[in-house]
Amino acid sequence: MAKKTYDLLFKLLLIGDSGVGKTSILFRFSDDAFTSTFISTIGIDFKIKTVELRGKKIKLQIWDTAGQERFHTITTSYYRGAMGIMLVYDVTDERSFENIVKWLRNIDEHANEDVEKMILGNKCDIDGKRAVNKDRGEAIAREYGVPFLETSAKANTNIDKAFNDLATAILDKYAGKEPGDAPDRVMVDPRRGDTSRRSCC
Amino acid sequence: MTALTQSVPDMEALIKDGSNKSALTCLHCPSRILNASVGTYVEKEFSLPAMTKLKSQTDTENHVLKDFWKVSDMFHFENVGFSHTADGVKYLTCADCEMGPIGWHDLQTKENFVALCRVKNS
Ligand SMILES: Nc1nc2c(ncn2[C@@H]2O[C@H](COP(=O)(O)OP(=O)(O)O)[C@@H](O)[C@H]2O)c(=O)[nH]1
Ligand SMILES: [Mg+2]
Ligand SMILES: [Zn+2]
Repeated sequence: MAKKTYDLLFKLLLIGDSGVGKTSILFRFSDDAFTSTFISTIGIDFKIKTVELRGKKIKLQIWDTAGQERFHTITTSYYRGAMGIMLVYDVTDERSFENIVKWLRNIDEHANEDVEKMILGNKCDIDGKRAVNKDRGEAIAREYGVPFLETSAKANTNIDKAFNDLATAILDKYAGKEPGDAPDRVMVDPRRGDTSRRSCC
Repeated sequence: MTALTQSVPDMEALIKDGSNKSALTCLHCPSRILNASVGTYVEKEFSLPAMTKLKSQTDTENHVLKDFWKVSDMFHFENVGFSHTADGVKYLTCADCEMGPIGWHDLQTKENFVALCRVKNS
């Protein structure tokens, strides 16, 4: 029977320069001894994860890019229906940090205007080669009014917290709009994703 | 490519009213894939690539499986990963350790099938 198994559904995306660790954040840092060789060869498109926040059961559908960021071809179709975006840079790569502003502009252009954002400074486990201090991450986040966290996909630092915080921000926004009455089920179109955006490369 | 047929011992004990009696979890980690009674038992022949292979093997072995839990809506899963499209389907994986394929997603019907022998049924 098609009984309801959740209260809300949020679609989340990862954005940022190539190499900053988006795929590693979504897909547990691959330990070759464990990961199925077959699956790691074809790659994972998206995940569905269930979290409980403020007594509500929330399904998160989290999408990775298929590498389009390399060619700066992230457009409306990737952003369609997105309610939350993780903007990721690499703390050992100055350029990826500078490009955060570009990605913010890209989001403004293509995404829903009320999409929730969060900035992640990833690879904070690397000590020696750090190029971007935490202060600078915090400063840019403050400037754009976006929450900020340093993460490590490798050490599994702040990854769950990041997704929980982003989902909570979305939840609170809906709760704020309609006091005491969040929408029953926020639908996205699960059919998108196997269409044009995958035809690159 | 080799084809091996695998079946599940004592299947009747896993089914209640045509559905999965217990929640499904990953064979390799504690991740919960599906809650109890959300899947429907179906008998259907489908060939899935093996979850593991020996380093010495070059090509992927396929297993012909017969026993599946059908999940009509992808959002009925608790935690699951979807691969990129390959062989005309999306393969399903554990959302936490990425072991798989544990089943497949039919792009036309949008139905999902989880192999009984590739998850923990109790
Ligand atoms: N040390 C360290 N390396 C990471 C981390 N996250 C990703 N990497 C590595 O950075 C490289 C690029 O990661 P990937 O996830 O493919 O980046 P994407 O292009 O943004 O998807 C890979 O070699 C990863 O192993 C992290 O948190 N710490
Ligand atoms: Mg990637
Ligand atoms: Zn697992």
